[in-house]
Amino acid sequence: MLVTVTSRSGKEVVKGGIQLSENATVKDLKASIHKRTGKLYPERQRLSLPLVSGQTRPTVLDGDKRLCDVFPEGSDHIVILKDLGPQVKYSTLFFFEYVGPLFIYPMFYFLPLYKFVGLPEKRVIHPVQTYATIYWCFHYFKRIMETFFVHKFSHATSPLSFVFRNCCYYWSFAVFIAYFVNHPYYTPVGETQMYIGFGLGIICQLANFYCHIILKNLRDPKGQGGYQIPRGFLFNYITCANYTTEIYQWLGFNIATQTVAGYSFLVVAAYIMSDWALGKHRRLKKLYDGKEGRVKYPNRFVILPPFL
Amino acid sequence: MVCQEDNFYPQSEGLCCRVERTNESRIMAGLAILKRIYLAVYNWVVFAGWLQVLYWAVQTLRTSGYEAVYAAVERPLQFAQTAAILEIFHGMFGLVRSPVSATLPQIGSRIYVTWAILWSFPETRTSPIVSSLVLSWSITELIRYSFFGMREAFGITPSFLQWLRYSTFYILYPTGISSEVGLILTALPYVKVSEKYCLRMPNRLNIAFDNYFATLFTLASYIPGSPYMYTYMIGQRAKALAKAKKSA
Repeated sequence: MLVTVTSRSGKEVVKGGIQLSENATVKDLKASIHKRTGKLYPERQRLSLPLVSGQTRPTVLDGDKRLCDVFPEGSDHIVILKDLGPQVKYSTLFFFEYVGPLFIYPMFYFLPLYKFVGLPEKRVIHPVQTYATIYWCFHYFKRIMETFFVHKFSHATSPLSFVFRNCCYYWSFAVFIAYFVNHPYYTPVGETQMYIGFGLGIICQLANFYCHIILKNLRDPKGQGGYQIPRGFLFNYITCANYTTEIYQWLGFNIATQTVAGYSFLVVAAYIMSDWALGKHRRLKKLYDGKEGRVKYPNRFVILPPFL
Repeated sequence: MVCQEDNFYPQSEGLCCRVERTNESRIMAGLAILKRIYLAVYNWVVFAGWLQVLYWAVQTLRTSGYEAVYAAVERPLQFAQTAAILEIFHGMFGLVRSPVSATLPQIGSRIYVTWAILWSFPETRTSPIVSSLVLSWSITELIRYSFFGMREAFGITPSFLQWLRYSTFYILYPTGISSEVGLILTALPYVKVSEKYCLRMPNRLNIAFDNYFATLFTLASYIPGSPYMYTYMIGQRAKALAKAKKSA
């Protein structure tokens, strides 16, 4: 079959179209487009069908589908190509996000940076500041390890611009928090509060790790593929228990260190994660609606019991 | 013509169509009228504020001189400029089409100069830059609010006003922005010495705020911010002219 490839403005992207076999899939089409255009590797392509009247959002074409199944009966074989821009692997994105905080925070602990803002160089180091540095670095080290050895990513790639945007977020907050926790005039909390904070944090980090293991096993090729209902441990009660444990882990850090900077990071992170969790919860409920023999998604909290 | 069934109303071509005159559609229509009245009132009230600013500024310049301009315009200036905060919500709640990304930096810088500089540091009030600031702001705003006020209240968009709106910014944005930057620079030594709005450590919340540093940061933000706002207006001008040409 001959497939015509146009841009969203209607201009033909591949002159003369692409000839493919009857059994070809969308994946084959993307590979052919890559060959003909050179710079548009498959992860950069978003292929969709032309908008039908009344549609606001285009039908994006899934990689594994066969082309003959994708085109409606009797229509021209036209696909619309959007260039998603340079892409990076999720593991690359996560690595750069997390490596910043891993090195930035200890700089404020070890190096005499405060003299550059006119503050005294010599200072007493409180135990909580030492523990906080260890805790923080362990947290981001854990995240990097999980990125390469635990997580299984759904989308292959992410736009390059996300690297700059996300690094701004993580690295700026790292500077903000590290500056105040390691400040020469830092006021520590009481010892009991510190132990409660770090205790909660450590427990939640372990729980968070276990949640990641459960999620990884959902995607195991030996198990069922596709979008699965997470089960076991905290997932029986909360859809995004991994985010819940992450939020409570930061709460633990803040109970121990008590800074406005740390708490503001907690609030922003919780907001972002809640946004993601709501989306995932909705998708799961929509997919597992209980009709036509499908399982019905159980009643669960989204992310933060008892509120959400 | 009368239709037999309930809830069927005569449409064109002699057909009877089912039109849901629900309570919901009545409420939507009522809200649209309310929105228009609100926006009309808002724009003209703030216009009146800026008119006072311009009047008193010019009067004072003619009779007393530039040192007295701030004292003469303070109240209407603070009123008109602070009222503009509402416009962020107008954009957020979809009352107007302006994106928050364009209104926030503009209103942010205006409120900052009005309250955090002029009101907070009286030493800046006698500067000649106050006059250039106030004149640039008031002329720009008079054009803008009357343009929107005409549209909301009377449904007309006089092409002369539209031309003014999309042309005067070429001069008034640079003069206004330079005045803002100039006044902030004037205030800097007083910011440093007075420790006003500063929060120092140690404290239980382990937070500090250095106003001098924050002011420097605000000045730095004008470096990317000014071209962004200027090119945004140039883009708006192109869009408005294209639209006018199309409907002509």
